[in-house]
Amino acid sequence: MNRKSMVWSLTSLFTLVAILLSACGSAATATQAPATQAPATQPPAATEAPATQAPAGTEAPATQAPATGGIDCMGAQQGDEISMLYQWSGTEEDNLNKILAPLVEACGIVLKPESSRDQALLDTRVKAGTPPDIAFYNIAQLVQYQDKLKDMNDLGINADNYLDSWKQIGTVNGKWVGLPVKTDTKTIIWYSPANFQSAGYEVPKTWDDLNALVEKMVADGKVPWSMGFESGDATGWTGTDWIQDILLVTKGPDYVNGIMDGSIPYNDAAVKEAYQTYGKWATDPKYTVGGAQGTVSTAFLDAIYKPFADPPEAMMVKQSGFAAGAIAAQFPDLKYGTDYAFFMMPGAQGIQIGADWMMAFSDKPAVKALVAYLSSDAGGKKWAEVGFDLTPNKAGTDSYTDPAAKDKAKLLGDAAAVLADLGDKIPGGFGSAEFKAISDYINGGDLDKDLSDVAAAQAQALGK
Amino acid sequence: MTTQNIPKIMKQGSWVPWLYLLPALIVMSFFIVYPMINTISLSFGNKDGTAPASTTCVEGKPCWGIFEDYRYALTAELNFSSAGALWDSFWKSSFGNNLKWIILMTAGTVGIGLAYAVLADRVKYEALAKAILFMPMAISFVGAGIIWKFVYDYGTKQVQIGLLNSIITSFGGKPVSWLSTPGLNTLMLILVGVWIWTGFCMTILSAALKSVPEDILEAARVDGATEWSTFWKVTVPIIMPTILVVITTMVINVLKLFDIVYVMTGGNFSTNVIANRMYTEMYKNFNVGRGTAIAVVLVLAIIPFIYFNIRRFLEQEAIR
Amino acid sequence: MNRDQINKFFSRIPTHVIVIVTMIIWIVPTLGLLITSLRPVQAINTTGWWTAFSTPPGAAAYQQYCSTCHGTDGKKLPNADLTNPAVVSQVGRSTQLLAVLQKPIDDQPHTGNTSLPTPQEAATIAVYLRGLAGGATAARFTLSNYVDALVGYRGRSSYASDCSSHTQALDLQCNISDVLNPRGMGRAFINSLLVTIPATILPILFAAFAGYAFAWLDFKGRFLLFAVLVGLQVVPLQMTLVPISRIYAQLGLNGTFLGVWLFHTGFGLPYAIYLMRNFLGSLPSDLFEAAYIDGASHWTVFRSLVIPLAMPAIASLGIFQFLWVWNDLLVALVFLGGTTPVMTYQISNMVTSLGAGWQLLTAAAFLSMVLPMVVFFSLQRYFVRGMLAGAVKG
Repeated sequence: MNRKSMVWSLTSLFTLVAILLSACGSAATATQAPATQAPATQPPAATEAPATQAPAGTEAPATQAPATGGIDCMGAQQGDEISMLYQWSGTEEDNLNKILAPLVEACGIVLKPESSRDQALLDTRVKAGTPPDIAFYNIAQLVQYQDKLKDMNDLGINADNYLDSWKQIGTVNGKWVGLPVKTDTKTIIWYSPANFQSAGYEVPKTWDDLNALVEKMVADGKVPWSMGFESGDATGWTGTDWIQDILLVTKGPDYVNGIMDGSIPYNDAAVKEAYQTYGKWATDPKYTVGGAQGTVSTAFLDAIYKPFADPPEAMMVKQSGFAAGAIAAQFPDLKYGTDYAFFMMPGAQGIQIGADWMMAFSDKPAVKALVAYLSSDAGGKKWAEVGFDLTPNKAGTDSYTDPAAKDKAKLLGDAAAVLADLGDKIPGGFGSAEFKAISDYINGGDLDKDLSDVAAAQAQALGK
Repeated sequence: MTTQNIPKIMKQGSWVPWLYLLPALIVMSFFIVYPMINTISLSFGNKDGTAPASTTCVEGKPCWGIFEDYRYALTAELNFSSAGALWDSFWKSSFGNNLKWIILMTAGTVGIGLAYAVLADRVKYEALAKAILFMPMAISFVGAGIIWKFVYDYGTKQVQIGLLNSIITSFGGKPVSWLSTPGLNTLMLILVGVWIWTGFCMTILSAALKSVPEDILEAARVDGATEWSTFWKVTVPIIMPTILVVITTMVINVLKLFDIVYVMTGGNFSTNVIANRMYTEMYKNFNVGRGTAIAVVLVLAIIPFIYFNIRRFLEQEAIR
Repeated sequence: MNRDQINKFFSRIPTHVIVIVTMIIWIVPTLGLLITSLRPVQAINTTGWWTAFSTPPGAAAYQQYCSTCHGTDGKKLPNADLTNPAVVSQVGRSTQLLAVLQKPIDDQPHTGNTSLPTPQEAATIAVYLRGLAGGATAARFTLSNYVDALVGYRGRSSYASDCSSHTQALDLQCNISDVLNPRGMGRAFINSLLVTIPATILPILFAAFAGYAFAWLDFKGRFLLFAVLVGLQVVPLQMTLVPISRIYAQLGLNGTFLGVWLFHTGFGLPYAIYLMRNFLGSLPSDLFEAAYIDGASHWTVFRSLVIPLAMPAIASLGIFQFLWVWNDLLVALVFLGGTTPVMTYQISNMVTSLGAGWQLLTAAAFLSMVLPMVVFFSLQRYFVRGMLAGAVKG
């Protein structure tokens, strides 16, 4: 009995100590400081007013002496905290820290980041009234939380550094709520120049050239395409990217914009044709590694490796710019330019992009400093230098150090039109309906039914 | 229930029981009952709780008024054009899948768990044997997802990292796409579930087996009963309450199960389950009304099992 | 050995066979993960884990096609010395190697009477040749996944290579203290312990009391309450996040350990009470009658009779509650926040949003599994037979 009572007493003691520790601990780590507490730590409103009403150039005189490198701290004090929430982790988070390092050094801001790909986290925080100060997410979140987000114009943003098309995409119901901070081009095809050269292939310049090249590869006994849908609950996203790119070739950006605003229903004839064109390649083992089963069950990362393996299993893979990093990680001996490179999808009248959007739930000075920094010349240059994909900030155009990034940036800069991904732009259940439709169709489902399901989701989402 | 046979121990005054219950009741009311009431009230609203669900009705389509979200939850996946279509769509829907999961996974985990607990009890390396069955529970699902990727991967002629397809191709067969073939894929996912959860059933049933009094078993053996009939006629009746508890718990776990489907197929290719639908509606489609309606349907699905439990509870008390 | 012993031995064999076969089936998938965690990522993506122990195919293909002329060490032909990097660099890929092999030497086919290797074989031979010439070949096994997982490595290659080339991240010092860095496992392990231990003890405590009440105390509404209890187990976690978060924000419990403990307790109680009630209810009532007649108070009965007898149930509950809280990510993230990381959070942060770096998860899964297995083994001693034997008679 003595041993038992000792065990119980020890555990109660431990529990008590732990409770006390947590009480002290919580005082020290005020992680969820709700936005409402922010005013208490601000200097009187009078000193902030000039900063927010400054003209578009952020070089307006700040109340504090500009810190090193011309970074404007917008009234933020040493030790001000910003709570951030984003989906990035691993190397991505590392890159973000490198990019924000000058800001942290100059203004003494303390960053309190959290990273999660579980959508439940941001949603719970916002609904519970304790949103993070800054979130880096997708357009869907911009639309969903538009009432709680602050207008970028009130946050000291340097709007000159961004093309109008970016501002348009980031504007919801007249309020500019989303600043695009990171972007990646999707309408590109990766291939191995070494393999092309030894087989005598040339990079196609038109859509018909591409078709002819594909047929030639098949005739030579090679498999032209590598495709992979599998990615857990987002299975099918590579397929929907393909469909949108084919539409950019066959119908152009205005048509795709029509789908985005709902004036063109998803089960329109041109979309059906695009699916059939894609299906012809994706379901046939002669054209795609593994045929329909291969397309549907291969993980998207594994599909990227196939054209660059030795011997190559395929000749080309259509994938966003991040593929460069994936190839480098799997094949450390290969060099960009000679062993792997990309060309834009021939005939595409615009570029489809994916982007990460910064949105602000609070307007305290530290947040303003962050927004101002990222949209400034210094921020744009730093982003490009670190090489965290591409930056829409025009100031970064010439600062890329990675050769692949340089080429991608050039492509983006020369693009006739820049479009967001349909699934990112249209809110609600459209995105997952689109993924389901392409996966089902390639797996042998009924195309008309799949398309009408997506059209229904589109109508519901856009309130038509 | 007969009032004459209540043992004295049970009569301890009318407020003493509440003393024992109060801490648990307070905590549970706060953390589960209150949110559940909140959930139910949201399930009668529209996608962000600002208006009643009847406002989301669409002209020309069926509408259940305030129960509109429930209409979506119950019928969205079904095809009512004919009896045959209804039957097919039911089995491809999340309800059909959950039914398969409940029947197969519960039978598998409880059956294997019980058999294994009994057999492991008789070998000297019992601790090791039980640990190996328990290990999948200790590996969080992050690890389990990767483990099964290496079993089910489709691969190509050149790159084959999936164990099953590697075995098949080495015998000259064609690789099977385990996770995208409708019908087969749900079974494969259930296999993963059984692999993970059998350790759970085994541990609890093992605890129950250990508390079967040794003298009763000895008496049966001395009377000449074989191991097999001792097991069925003596052991099983004694641990039946625990078996029922394990079955009920497994059914509840299966209903809430979401990880396996979410990570491995995302609910595609007819593998969707109710919990995954709830997650999609809440956090992808941002439709709170429908998400909460699905959650309520989930809770209501447990009612038949509550009935069995209460009946068992009463039977047990009657024989005291 | 007499007949009885022989009979007993043979009758045991089916049991052993079944148990061992089941053990093998169950452990093979996990074994795959273990072996994978010890392989470099390039190998993980290209060959199955069961090939990790067999000789690389390049060696066999080299023997078949090249060794007769070039010798097993590649040095046999002095004007085609395969250990010379300059020679080998010209046949780095299968296409280059095949091109060379297709050219005749002195009007004779390069490979003589044997046919040319297939492209795949050529690729493996090229890799093998690179090894012959002293080039770096990928190691078969490596501990870098474990090391990277322990320090929460976020770079592009590996912790070991970064440290040796002095290009490590700014907050890493390349010594043992890196385990305690903010993204490493050290601090997260302690945080996980701080979350898990009270969140295991509290529910067991409350459930023991409540289970006893449901099993052995008579009060109005016990059946209804029990029915509700069973139903409460089904309530999905996601439904509780927003209402509780809101209240926590008002009470100031967001971001505190106490908040997480209470949540786990509340959420774990229905199942815990359900299990305890069942176990306690199956104890023979004569036991209690005897004690009661002896004049023991209810509290004494509870403390000295019920709890010791319920140890197997308490042990099972302890194992599983510990496991669920230890492996939980969402609750810790929502109520404790990412700035007080637990192990599951650090692990989920090792991969990028696109899944790059997933090989670290293989090692991290095992690191995270150690403590739950220790708990399992240490609680096994409560699963002993015969606790009730003699209790009634005594």
